[in-house]
Amino acid sequence: MEPAAGFFESWFLWRDPLAVAIIAAALCAFVGVYIVMKRIVFVSAALSQMSGVGVAIAFYLASVAGVDPHHAPLYLNPLWYALGLAAAGAALFSLNLNRRRLAGETVVGLGYLIAAASVIMILNSPRVGQEAHEVNDLLYGNAVAVPPEQLKIMSGTAILIGLVHGIFGKEFVFTTYDAEMARTLGVRTRSWNLLLFLTFAAAISVSTRAIGALPVFAFMVIPPAAGLLLGQRLWQVFAISVVVAVLGATLGYYASWHWSLPTGASMVVVTALFLLPGIARLRMKGGS
Amino acid sequence: MNLVELRQVVVGYHHEPLLPAIDLALAPGAFLGVVGPNGSGKTTIIRTMLGLNQPLSGSIVFPARRRPRFGYVPQRASVDLTFPLTAFEVTLMGRYGLIGPGRQPKARDHERARTALTDVGCDDLSGRPFHALSGGQRQRVLVARALASEPEILVLDEPTTGMDLPSERAMLDLVSSFTSRQIAVVMVSHQLGAVSDYALELALVPGPGQHVEIGSRKEILTSARLTRIYGRPIAVRSVDGHAVIFVEHECDTGPVEKV
Repeated sequence: MEPAAGFFESWFLWRDPLAVAIIAAALCAFVGVYIVMKRIVFVSAALSQMSGVGVAIAFYLASVAGVDPHHAPLYLNPLWYALGLAAAGAALFSLNLNRRRLAGETVVGLGYLIAAASVIMILNSPRVGQEAHEVNDLLYGNAVAVPPEQLKIMSGTAILIGLVHGIFGKEFVFTTYDAEMARTLGVRTRSWNLLLFLTFAAAISVSTRAIGALPVFAFMVIPPAAGLLLGQRLWQVFAISVVVAVLGATLGYYASWHWSLPTGASMVVVTALFLLPGIARLRMKGGS
Repeated sequence: MNLVELRQVVVGYHHEPLLPAIDLALAPGAFLGVVGPNGSGKTTIIRTMLGLNQPLSGSIVFPARRRPRFGYVPQRASVDLTFPLTAFEVTLMGRYGLIGPGRQPKARDHERARTALTDVGCDDLSGRPFHALSGGQRQRVLVARALASEPEILVLDEPTTGMDLPSERAMLDLVSSFTSRQIAVVMVSHQLGAVSDYALELALVPGPGQHVEIGSRKEILTSARLTRIYGRPIAVRSVDGHAVIFVEHECDTGPVEKV
């Protein structure tokens, strides 16, 4: 059987995982435009790790309470802990840390390191040892198999974040572009920045659980970079970024199926190919 | 009635005072030039007035019992050029404070932004990418953005830096014209000679720890005062009614360098 035919005949196997991957990619690519324009790309890596700490803590607490983590009550649901920790990180990173003694990127680096070390520490504790493999799956999903509720959670998150950005996009753009000018006009830049970072946190923590940390980081950076290389207007940058992410996720998923490649890595490599037209355009213009 | 009054305001960073207490008042139509050497604290004063920095002590009073609308033109170098925005989109941002959160700009806001671009002579640049404009054009667009906010006080930080002489004079003519609309103008500049032709009042900021001297051009621009502040012999002459300021080289007998 031809791989392509096999792929389309097996649609019931990949329909949900691909839908989740496409939604996650589009969502990350959209909010990633802000992340790239703010020059804080490692915030996504740090927030991803911090949401991981939340999941690890939830598993640890479930084991302490003697509860099966897969059937844990609402107050021990790993998703809430992941969102909570990522939101706390987002609140920290949303502060204008560059004015203080430590540069913003140093604080982001510290957040990443402490979170990464904490996950390793918690997962290696004897209480969580047996669950460690499953915790890893929860932390850094593989985009191949997703439980049915994952599609609902991913869609709901994307709709909610889309609504917030649709309503307050003007405030987000203004505070990202020129926060000082915005403040002089009475715009509450700290609140808007916090809300913007909370949307990053929600997008990252939910997407990481669905498709994994590496693709999330990649979709936050590569499509927006492609958009900035090709787009002449801000709306074009957002549109190109989302289209590149959707194509990269779809074609990458297909390539992974066709050549039996790791799905996340395959999506990242295919998405990176979309940087080529922008780089070629830049070279033709003689830009840098 | 004054728009804003600084009463015994001490400015500084991280709880460290930079300058002794300042008293300052701005009335509609005033033109205040904030001048002094580089690093003396000029920008800190206007940032405090704008609310970007908190005063360490003293109070900022709004006699009309409401904060006046400020239009801020930051230093050109502080504006991000990676954003793919047109001159019109940058100007329209000046309206965002008036539009309110969650609402989109309406036809009236677009019209005001277009008028502001026309006022600064940049209506033909409306659709051009902001990053593709020349330095002087960008500065004018930033002034248009400030004007679009319908300011009562226009605050400009070194608006003529990097401009050639004709562009510098054109910018100062433009800024000066706003006072006839009862807009108070506060302009920071280290180019004493250029500002002194336009500003009705000067705030001379000598440097950290030293008192800010505020008064009319005639009061502030004296050879003795400038010599003391700049630490070099400075002569102030009047040529065709304009104050011309020279730095005198100690080995020479006459003025050789214009400030």
